[in-house]
Amino acid sequence: MKKKCLGIESTAHTFSAGILDFDGNVYSLINDIFIPEEGGLHPALVREQHLNNFMRIINRALTEAKISAKNLNLIAFSQSPGLGPVLKIGAWVARILSQVLEIPIIGVNHCIGHIEIGRLKCNIEDPLTLYVSGGNTIVSAFESERYQIFGETLDLALGNMIDSFARDAGLQHPGGPKIETLALRSKNFIPLPYIVKGMDLSFSGLYTAAKNLLHSDEYNKKYNLNDIAYSLQETAFGMLSEVTERALAHTEKKEVLLTGGVAANKRLQAMIEIISKEHDARFEVVPIKYAGDNGAMIGWAGILRYKAEGGFNISETIIKPKKRMDEITIPWRS
Amino acid sequence: MKKEKIIRKGAEASLYYGHWFDKEVIFKYRLPKKYRIEELDMRIRTERTLNEARALIKVKNYGINVPQVFEIDSTNSTIIMKYIQGDKLKDILSDLDNDQKVRYFNEIGRVIATLHKNGHIHGDITTSNIILTPNKDIFLIDFGLHAYSDTIEDKSVDLHLLKRVLISSHGKDYECCFTAFLNGYKSEYNKVDSSECDQIIKNIDAIETRGRYIKSDQRL
Repeated sequence: MKKKCLGIESTAHTFSAGILDFDGNVYSLINDIFIPEEGGLHPALVREQHLNNFMRIINRALTEAKISAKNLNLIAFSQSPGLGPVLKIGAWVARILSQVLEIPIIGVNHCIGHIEIGRLKCNIEDPLTLYVSGGNTIVSAFESERYQIFGETLDLALGNMIDSFARDAGLQHPGGPKIETLALRSKNFIPLPYIVKGMDLSFSGLYTAAKNLLHSDEYNKKYNLNDIAYSLQETAFGMLSEVTERALAHTEKKEVLLTGGVAANKRLQAMIEIISKEHDARFEVVPIKYAGDNGAMIGWAGILRYKAEGGFNISETIIKPKKRMDEITIPWRS
Repeated sequence: MKKEKIIRKGAEASLYYGHWFDKEVIFKYRLPKKYRIEELDMRIRTERTLNEARALIKVKNYGINVPQVFEIDSTNSTIIMKYIQGDKLKDILSDLDNDQKVRYFNEIGRVIATLHKNGHIHGDITTSNIILTPNKDIFLIDFGLHAYSDTIEDKSVDLHLLKRVLISSHGKDYECCFTAFLNGYKSEYNKVDSSECDQIIKNIDAIETRGRYIKSDQRL
């Protein structure tokens, strides 16, 4: 029987368990996503939901994969970066399972998980990766033993910015898909702050300007929510595309990978595809199941590190909420 | 007016060599981007073209060597400017002897201080954007990321970029070049405000402890 790994994702709103074998075949993937009744992700509330649900999620993952916990050979968990109280849950569940089942444990950087599952599922070798989600906005590529960060947001993550705006506009969480639909109904562009600093981005001014439009006297007279949604998307994605193109020109990679929750946005996909074509690069979007936060990506990145370096000591499994992915070496690609 | 040959194709703009009346010139053409909607694309290219041209014209008033702007064609997002003959500092730095390095970087320090004390941020001070002419004059080019600012933070960021470039691309010359640069910078900036100058230089260290460019155990 093939060796199997349980991957546990627990960095933010998603608690997820994925079971896959050491060749990358996924047997099951079960998610539980925290959806706030109002406001954003309050760490204490997210933590509570995950605490109430982790057993059920892991059990369902095992049932669906048709294996018992005794058949697991490795436990991987999301160790960094994320919300501290939430990371802790995944970490201690993983520690307990590892001790009880007497199998190795391995900590995974969430961002590296996204890249590795994308490489696996899109069958892509050495991409420039654009990782855009509620918590991260990163343009990265592999260079000198690491996933180097060429550009990133200096303040808000793109998904967070769009969700926050959607909330201000009275739309329910998650706002991203709703903003995308509204944007399709407009061609009336309102100029908004477009901030690119070298290869880095800043979304906070854009967010404030868009929010102010909602409270302006001209709202629903000269323009409506569709127009703001359209302008917000065009501006934010335009900034992101510019940075991506610069990084692509600089790194001369021949593949582009789009991942993270915001990767589902069709307009963003279209823009990045145009850039990829102009630079003769193959363009791939990670399938939505694996683009959002999920346990399979944690499992797969865990397997890769385990094969290269073996498991962690328990003392190495402490969570690192602020760890950057460019601080971590990638032995399986060196 | 004629574009004759392309000399550089960047992600944002292409540079063409050519003639404008009987003068040797560079056409800096900001390319349209198909991924942006036309309204936004036009606005950005026009804004950046005008901003860069204005900056080039303004800083010349302080006696800084920059390419003379001959014509601004904002509808085609093109600046036509004087062609500066010479070498990029990046390409010849390792061939210079120590005295020359010190002399040039001292001069570059004074040039940047002149910009800063007048409220101009270059935004991209790298050894690729400094040209050494056959007459040994120093020219500053590419004001595409120019900004107006009087804050210590923005000025420090400007210097920090040069420091990083020197470390990453000219490691063994970094020490002597950056020291000479700072000496030149201070000598010029101190004429107006020595305490502000000290704060700008001190703030470079603060920027380093903040960012993504350092090991986690050195972070504040």
